[in-house]
Amino acid sequence: MKGFLTGFIAFLVTLVLAHLLVVNALPGKIMSKVRGRIAEAGLPVHHWHMNGRVSPENQTVVRPSPDLAYAICLIDLSNGPVELNVPAWDEYGSLSVFSARTDNVYAGSLDARVPGTPDVRRLIVALDKQDVSAAGDAETVRVKQPEALALIRRLAPTQEAYDAAAALVPESSCKPL
Amino acid sequence: MKLVPLLVGGILGIAAGVASALFATGMIGSGGRLSGAVDVDGWQSDWTIGSAAANPWMRARIARHGLLALTKEEAVYFTKATDDEGKPLTEACTYRVSGGAMPALWWSVTLYNAESYLPSNSGQALSYDMTKAATAGSPDAWSFTIAPSAPAAGGWVSSKAAGDFDLTLRLYKPSPDLIADPEATLPAPAIARVSCGGQ
Repeated sequence: MKGFLTGFIAFLVTLVLAHLLVVNALPGKIMSKVRGRIAEAGLPVHHWHMNGRVSPENQTVVRPSPDLAYAICLIDLSNGPVELNVPAWDEYGSLSVFSARTDNVYAGSLDARVPGTPDVRRLIVALDKQDVSAAGDAETVRVKQPEALALIRRLAPTQEAYDAAAALVPESSCKPL
Repeated sequence: MKLVPLLVGGILGIAAGVASALFATGMIGSGGRLSGAVDVDGWQSDWTIGSAAANPWMRARIARHGLLALTKEEAVYFTKATDDEGKPLTEACTYRVSGGAMPALWWSVTLYNAESYLPSNSGQALSYDMTKAATAGSPDAWSFTIAPSAPAAGGWVSSKAAGDFDLTLRLYKPSPDLIADPEATLPAPAIARVSCGGQ
């Protein structure tokens, strides 16, 4: 009886610990896997990259929207803050930043029709204690780990709109501050 | 002698803990369905998606089935995997999806397979959105067909090669009213089963 009780308690304790460990580790592991896949495709950090129009053949993440043009930039804050500059769009659009734990830590409108949307949205991404004084009064978002990811979404339901969105990528920047 | 039950219990506990974590986060089993913290006629969402306030289970589930989702101020996501009668959505049936004006700057309805990917077909009809509804001249009373092949007329989303699937309704720049009271504000799209297996 004593042996059974010992085994049962060991079962319960390890079940709870293993469950919590896996649940908490999964987001970081998935994000890390996505970053690895993008890096394997030859995309350097601090560089905006746009895939072809979303199709069943080129899905790199789950649940992509086929109506949007996506541009992505891998961020590494190990050597200092990073500055993003992204032009506005004449339909729905957003600039967003995701932490290494997959949290959406920033989202700003790129839709020129929305009041307050600047012609070019400037954003600084930095670790909690990094100095961003060189950025002046630019918007700043803080994260806790050096790995982050920035994403541009622009409504582009046609090839023509997608091409127009792609033409804006060279005008965008993702670079060390 | 206590070491044996301790080891057996520990090993079984680890296995059960890992399995239950994978199931609870949608890595195995229930696909991309959300917790239902927000539920409007079966369209389920959770306002903590994307935010640091998400509990560990929701964060992990979204990482698996909706990575890079935005917070509710920018976009909200509703998912439904059953028709109006509660039966699972499947490639074997034809459906009519209909709705009205949505409380957002822009919206879309996209079909995903059980693995949370776009189905592998060449129909180039993966979603229906506000732009298509406006082009069809009915932005406030729209409808489209879900079927493996294109209907004779009207909007179409292809379910070819989708197997069992679900629909994700995206609402970008949702209205404050929708965030405050989704049940009263969202005109949940209807999903009527038209026929199954060619019947």
